Amino acid sequence: MSKTVYTKTNTFIALQYLFARKKQSFLAMIGVLLGVTTFIVMINFMTGVNDFLDDAVFSGSPDIIIGKDVKKSNSLLGQGSFLENYDKIDLFLEEQQNIKAFAHQTISPAILISNSKQFPGSINGVFADEERLMVDLERRLIAGEGFQSLSKENTILIGISLAKRLDVSVGDSINMILPNGKNKRLIVAGIFSFGITTIDNVRTYVSAKTIQNLLGYTNKITNIHIKLKDRNNVDVKNDLIQKFDGITTEDWKDSNKTIVIGNKVRDILTWSVSFALLLVAGFGIYNILNITVIQKRKDIAVLKTIGYSSNDIVFIFLIQSIIIGVLGAFFGVLLGYGMCYVISTTPLDTSDFIIVETYPINFKLWFYILGFLFGVLTTIFAGYFPSRKASKVDPVTIIRGI
Amino acid sequence: MILEAKHINKYFTEPERHQVLHDVSLSISEGELVSVFGESGSGKSTLLYILSTLDTDFYGDLTIYNQEIKGLTATGLTDFRNKHIGFVYQFHYLLPEFNVLQNVMLPAMKLSLKSKKEIESDALSLLEEVGMKSFAKRPAYQLSGGQQQRVAIARALINNPSLIVADEPTGNLDQKNSELIFELLKEITGSKNKAVVIATHNSKIYHNSDRSIEMIDGVVRL
Repeated sequence: MSKTVYTKTNTFIALQYLFARKKQSFLAMIGVLLGVTTFIVMINFMTGVNDFLDDAVFSGSPDIIIGKDVKKSNSLLGQGSFLENYDKIDLFLEEQQNIKAFAHQTISPAILISNSKQFPGSINGVFADEERLMVDLERRLIAGEGFQSLSKENTILIGISLAKRLDVSVGDSINMILPNGKNKRLIVAGIFSFGITTIDNVRTYVSAKTIQNLLGYTNKITNIHIKLKDRNNVDVKNDLIQKFDGITTEDWKDSNKTIVIGNKVRDILTWSVSFALLLVAGFGIYNILNITVIQKRKDIAVLKTIGYSSNDIVFIFLIQSIIIGVLGAFFGVLLGYGMCYVISTTPLDTSDFIIVETYPINFKLWFYILGFLFGVLTTIFAGYFPSRKASKVDPVTIIRGI
Repeated sequence: MILEAKHINKYFTEPERHQVLHDVSLSISEGELVSVFGESGSGKSTLLYILSTLDTDFYGDLTIYNQEIKGLTATGLTDFRNKHIGFVYQFHYLLPEFNVLQNVMLPAMKLSLKSKKEIESDALSLLEEVGMKSFAKRPAYQLSGGQQQRVAIARALINNPSLIVADEPTGNLDQKNSELIFELLKEITGSKNKAVVIATHNSKIYHNSDRSIEMIDGVVRL
């Protein structure tokens, strides 16, 4: 007499019940399938968007920016906006564990004038060797050269949107006028695109030396940019404010509030919608099995009198929901992959906010495994309670209760 | 001796505590057909559920096939029933999702002492004995009441149990089918040397059994 419930006979009985109501079983399976598909598509798409924005923003921006606290200085320009004694800040930063790299910048307001157009903005004077560690510009280049071209000191790198506005391309010249009236002709050496218009519209790089010379202050800088090893740990920001007077600090969360919130909202949306769908699918299975158990109470009683134990009954009903769950989850994963593929090849006609050819979507194996597990676990959970109920059927009360 | 019951007392607690069986003692041997006769409410069905081990909530001793029933766990009981007791009910209770042959095979497939092939040939020869072999592949729900009851008898016999318990097996049948079923049960008792207990209010069964017990208000009148 075998005590194990995973017998061919029990499976046979379960399959017989499953096939006896093909339509209901099929609909229950579709429920799981849609839940799993939606989960996979949503999570891959939402994380795809998150990763895309993170990549665009964080590979183009520092994690912390140190600047002069202009409220405590007298003039807006010239001497007043330079960081004083920044060598002390440098020494402090070099000692910090969580800092990957830092770079100095001399930023100045300027007007850029091409043959036909002009553009007022701010010019980033950078040190090519340092800035290379802050921004992965080579990957973002559309035309021309990257930071190494700044060694010539009469070159400028500009964002794609700005280049279009000024109607210039690589090799063209631009006249730069600084607030003190000095001007210089610069050659466009490179055009880059981060995919986000808020960067591509305004970002420019020239050599810091060029700006310093024009302003008449050598070795003066206005900002220090910092890249952290662990971006989520911004403690160093507070240390800086406490240790040094007259500076302001801004971290990536401050400067990218909309994106940080957007990521959070997308995460919440993904998980809540997927959870809701799987819950609905689970309820579908729960209902179908529950009704079956109620309709089949007499049959269950008979099975019990002819030798099927409570555990056999649990198995017979639970295996039905597991079969529904595994099939639904399996086809859900396939359909999910198919839909992700279609989305990944769909051209995206964006407004100006982001520049991307097709919808950004991830293809992470882990999400497929997770979707499958969620689908199966939901059905096991939904099937468990009706199965327990079935196993508790008392043959005496049912046979007597005619 | 197949079955021995000593001083069985049974109480219902709902809606209020009252005694349904008063000190019932009974023993049944191989090849004996015993009918328990009584009005509804006399306690005959209750006694039958106890004798068939479905109800273990009683006072007294019950031994079937040298096994003390009260010492068995729930799973032990299920296995014991599977092996030693065959059931026939008033409402035959074949499982409609399965065909006639599968219905007969189910208890033996649970017992799984034989291969599926052997079980199938056993089931077919039993169906032949009850005259239902030609219906073997038919879905159970297509059969008439009398036909279903014959299949139910074949199902009760598949594991070759020593005790057959039948609760009003003719209660839902016309006279012709009732006689047919009773003859079948009698034949089983004789030729297969089984102990058969039938709860009934059919006086024909009462008069034609090897031994008859009449129950009135939970008391056995011999």
